[in-house]
Amino acid sequence: MNIKKVLSAGLVAAAMCAMTVGSASAAEKKEVVIWDYFETDAQKAMMESLIEGFNASQDEFTASHVYVPFADYEKQLTLGIASGEVPDIVILDGCDMASFIQLGLFGDVSDAEINWDEYIAGPLESTMMDGKHYGIPFATNCTALYYNKDMFDAAGIAYPDENTTWDDFREMAKALTKDGVYGFGNAATNTDEGTFQCLQWIYTAGGSYLDIESGVDAYKLMQEMIEEGSWTKECVNWTQSDVNNNFMAGNIAMQQNGPWQIPGIEANAPDLNYGVTVLPKKDAESGQATSILGGENMGVVNKDDMSGAKAFLQYYDQTDVMVEAMKQYGSYPPKTEAAKDSYWTDDPIQKAFLTQIETSIPRGPSASWPSYSAAIQTGFQEVMTSAKTPEQAAADTQAAVEAVE
Amino acid sequence: MKRRRKLNSGAKMGFLFALPAAIYMLVFIGYPMIQNLILSLKNVDVYTFAQPANQKFVGFQNYIELFTNKNSILSKAIINTLIFTVGSIFFQFIIGFGLALLFNKKFPGCSFFRGVTMISWLLPVTVAGLLFKFMFASSGGIINQFLMALGIFNKPLDWLLQPRSAMVAIIVANIWIGIPFNMMLLITGLTTIPADVYESCNLDGANKVQTLFMITIPMIKPAIMSVLTLGFVYTFKVFDLVWVMTKGGPINSTELVSTYAYRLSFEEFQFSKGAAAANVLFLILLVVGIFYIKLINEEEEIM
Repeated sequence: MNIKKVLSAGLVAAAMCAMTVGSASAAEKKEVVIWDYFETDAQKAMMESLIEGFNASQDEFTASHVYVPFADYEKQLTLGIASGEVPDIVILDGCDMASFIQLGLFGDVSDAEINWDEYIAGPLESTMMDGKHYGIPFATNCTALYYNKDMFDAAGIAYPDENTTWDDFREMAKALTKDGVYGFGNAATNTDEGTFQCLQWIYTAGGSYLDIESGVDAYKLMQEMIEEGSWTKECVNWTQSDVNNNFMAGNIAMQQNGPWQIPGIEANAPDLNYGVTVLPKKDAESGQATSILGGENMGVVNKDDMSGAKAFLQYYDQTDVMVEAMKQYGSYPPKTEAAKDSYWTDDPIQKAFLTQIETSIPRGPSASWPSYSAAIQTGFQEVMTSAKTPEQAAADTQAAVEAVE
Repeated sequence: MKRRRKLNSGAKMGFLFALPAAIYMLVFIGYPMIQNLILSLKNVDVYTFAQPANQKFVGFQNYIELFTNKNSILSKAIINTLIFTVGSIFFQFIIGFGLALLFNKKFPGCSFFRGVTMISWLLPVTVAGLLFKFMFASSGGIINQFLMALGIFNKPLDWLLQPRSAMVAIIVANIWIGIPFNMMLLITGLTTIPADVYESCNLDGANKVQTLFMITIPMIKPAIMSVLTLGFVYTFKVFDLVWVMTKGGPINSTELVSTYAYRLSFEEFQFSKGAAAANVLFLILLVVGIFYIKLINEEEEIM
């Protein structure tokens, strides 16, 4: 009996100690929880140093981050809204922001001390609805054309550049397709990743996400190149990582991909001799090809006390913090001035992406973007698997896009 | 008097014992089902989710739109699900039955091999899905290598990239996963046949084929019916295998009702439509379930 009493008294005392310690630290610092879906080592290291920097810069808040797998991200956020178990800040794909603002996940932070007018217009718009700010752009990027220099040299062809037209591109891809190597590959999987990469061809052809039929030439190019074997048909199942893996392995001579693949190439294929240029333009008379803006936003979750989240946004709003983070991450800061850092402008590969960003457009923004994306994606799959003629697929996709509410 | 009171207390005890199960069913199955039904009759989507005031009852509009809207592929998903289910069960059952007959014979190493066959049932479905995705890959996939080495194909087939072959691929994967389930239930059925029945039909001079069709199959008919109906229910609501292997593609050719309901709710945020699609799936399975319960009751009456 005595031993039990002593033991229980000890346990109670220990529990009380733990409680006081817990409440004491909670009273000192408020927590700021951030959700992200960053998978690569470089991205994780970037988040860690960003959070360390924020925690050291002030003593009111402690930030921490939670990794949620990308495949589950939208589901977890939706369930979080329903159950109330949500973080303070969500880092998410820019094109999904409008949906989640509409779903009521994010709160109005227009009163935060942010230098709104320094941001690039496209990304900033994607964080806004009805003139109110719900967060800030975190990173911005776009896809451009990677090419394997050794393969071009071996085939005796000049590298693609800003003057390369669709016809030139098609000839190049054809000449490079041999011995199990495909001339070109991109991501056309049936998720928004596929829409992100394929939609630019429609824009470059003169269409838009609401006007598919004006971009029917893109469908024709895709189907013809896949049928002659110079554009790999496996892209129907490829994600952007799959495309990059095949580019590193030398299975494709050219790929469409984004700058976030550069750290991976440097780590896994340091000897790969490659270059990057803007995507091919439609013909000699037309301007630079359009690309689709990618990148993440930081949304502030709607809570009674959003002071911690606002403090984190204000910390990230400092140009030097943003520039450091984006160097590690392999994307570009969403501020016009910040992107002019010599780290990017002195590197020919990084510079190609910055040139491409100038003619890049955002997806949507629309709260119904996921439905548009699904309709558009189906069209590309129909074209790439030759299930329909380009004209038929364009007419059907046009009808599908118009049926989205 | 005394007897009646005893019965009463027995009945009370019965209700008492059934109570935990009944409460469990009501809270964890009844409540979500009713919530889902209510949700499917409203207009909750990305625009009304955060504004309860704008959430209205729209009757069966979601159901009507699912079957008539140009962008809706529910009818296609139902047909796909039926093809998937019937294709899977047909082969699962035949192969499972064959293996059950084999393992019902006693031979050296019998229980070891029976255990090994269970591996595909024990493997998590997502893992099996990934394995089959690699095996069916166009270049470097073992299935193409194998078929080309045998000279059946002279160039690789794009299994997961063409609508029809993608359906074949997910059916093959599901057959592999489902065989042990069929086999085990049928083996259990086979062990209930008394040995003297076989002895007497041996004496009557029946051959192997006659024994199979006149004795074995009729005697385990209840087990066969259970396997087929349970298999139908399990296969009809498969989600993870298809999500991992094809995500419903290419061009929605492997979109099942389950994956479509998920896509509507969690990718397109059309919560009410997603709920309606899930209810259509539930209704189809309810019919099968009623058929199954009726069947069980009939069997019990006979016995």
